[in-house]
Amino acid sequence: MNDEVFLNERIDVIATFGTGLNPCNPVKFRRPNGREVVISEIGLRHPTTQGKRAVHVFDVTDGGADYRIELDSERLTWMLTRIGDRM
Amino acid sequence: MKSLYNTAEPLVMHIDLNSCFATVEQQARVRLRGKPVAVVNRRTDQTMIVTCSYEAKAAGVQMGMKLRDAKKICPDLVGVESDPPKYRYVYHKLLDIMNDYSAHVTMKSIDEGVIDFAQAPKAIKDRGLEEIGREIKQRLRDEIGVAMRCNVGIATNRFLAKTAASLHKPDGMDVITHKNLRGVLGTLELTDLTGIAERNKHRLNSVGICTPLDFLDASSDVLHSSVFKSINGDYWHQRLRGWEVDDVMSDTKRVGRQYVLDNFNLTFDEILQRLHHLCESVGWRMRKQGLSARGVYVGVHTFGPGGPWRKHRSWHVSKVVQTPFFSDQTIYSIAKSLFVHAPPDIRDINVHCYLLERRERSQLNLFADEIARERAVTHAVDEINERYGEHTLHAADTIRTSPLVKTKIPFGSTRYL
Repeated sequence: MNDEVFLNERIDVIATFGTGLNPCNPVKFRRPNGREVVISEIGLRHPTTQGKRAVHVFDVTDGGADYRIELDSERLTWMLTRIGDRM
Repeated sequence: MKSLYNTAEPLVMHIDLNSCFATVEQQARVRLRGKPVAVVNRRTDQTMIVTCSYEAKAAGVQMGMKLRDAKKICPDLVGVESDPPKYRYVYHKLLDIMNDYSAHVTMKSIDEGVIDFAQAPKAIKDRGLEEIGREIKQRLRDEIGVAMRCNVGIATNRFLAKTAASLHKPDGMDVITHKNLRGVLGTLELTDLTGIAERNKHRLNSVGICTPLDFLDASSDVLHSSVFKSINGDYWHQRLRGWEVDDVMSDTKRVGRQYVLDNFNLTFDEILQRLHHLCESVGWRMRKQGLSARGVYVGVHTFGPGGPWRKHRSWHVSKVVQTPFFSDQTIYSIAKSLFVHAPPDIRDINVHCYLLERRERSQLNLFADEIARERAVTHAVDEINERYGEHTLHAADTIRTSPLVKTKIPFGSTRYL
């Protein structure tokens, strides 16, 4: 199996909000351990719900690993929820 | 009986996302692109492959194979657990794109749909369906992601449009008209036709129909009386000639769920907990559609002689009651009473509710107060679950089953998407 690691880490994120089909673009984030990840590509952005709370899921990569970060649109918090770094 | 080919302008477009789940995973996870990927429903090597990427298919991996076996022929294969919210998002994006071209869009499953342009605005029709097909392909890449690919088939009816969409995978586009119909069918096998699997193939072979062209040339009388022995023979006769016979919507006849056990050494009580979870899930789905039921069906597959992975056997039982029901509690109490007779060595369990009816149509009952109370409690539980997420409030019995009995994507039905 693909060895993804499941996490629930609160992260600091720099993102741009613009116009167009995908208005929100996370640029980089910092993990609680201080490590910064610069996003080189957003693979897919899809909305999901936790009850009635909308959560926007971003599958991104920095070129070395794939990450899943989630924006809770009600609480305005970002979480790092998955890393897939080996294949 | 229409025995001639349909010579009308082809105005039906079938769109099929290529290896949908695997492509979506490759779109989401950039580092999976170009690699053989298999999508599975569980994070174990024993699980079966739901779908795989074209790279995996090229290496000989097929849907339905066990991941463990597939890795023997393709050691680099990456198994990825299915992620339904992602596929639902792509489904809705595809539906949005298709709705921009016609009001007559039907999704056939999570990864394919049909646009009927017969009543589309003239401005759309004048552009030509091939140009629109190319535009839809481009929009998929622009609006979802660069890895997304689809096949487009254009014809005068749904059947030929789907056949056209399967001619050149991946990322193909084909048109079937009365002019090239014989040429296209001449390149196919009988089982390449949607709806013709081994059993129908044997039926056709038994009267000397061995190729799609033989099938096309067969008279409706032969198909009706000798092959299908029903009106299906006439439908096939028309379908193959490009006449529309598949533009029908079916009602929900049953609501159910199936679950392959996570461990084959479970006790009877542990299996009952999983059954209870399925009943809660079925009840939730049924109520979301405003339905109640009068019948419950419980079935299992058991391991045959020789232990696990040998040919399985099936057992099932059902019960119909007078008063329509809708609550998880009632579904489970009926299912449980049926399940006590289940045989040992169970591999999978499934529960269905049937004889469905709209809840507002339910007749008045002598026990109306009791039903009203049950309805109020069920409604309150559903409201909490809608607010905080499915399975937030549930029976204590199913507290351990949530991480195990996950909701997966239903193939062939778009009712719950």
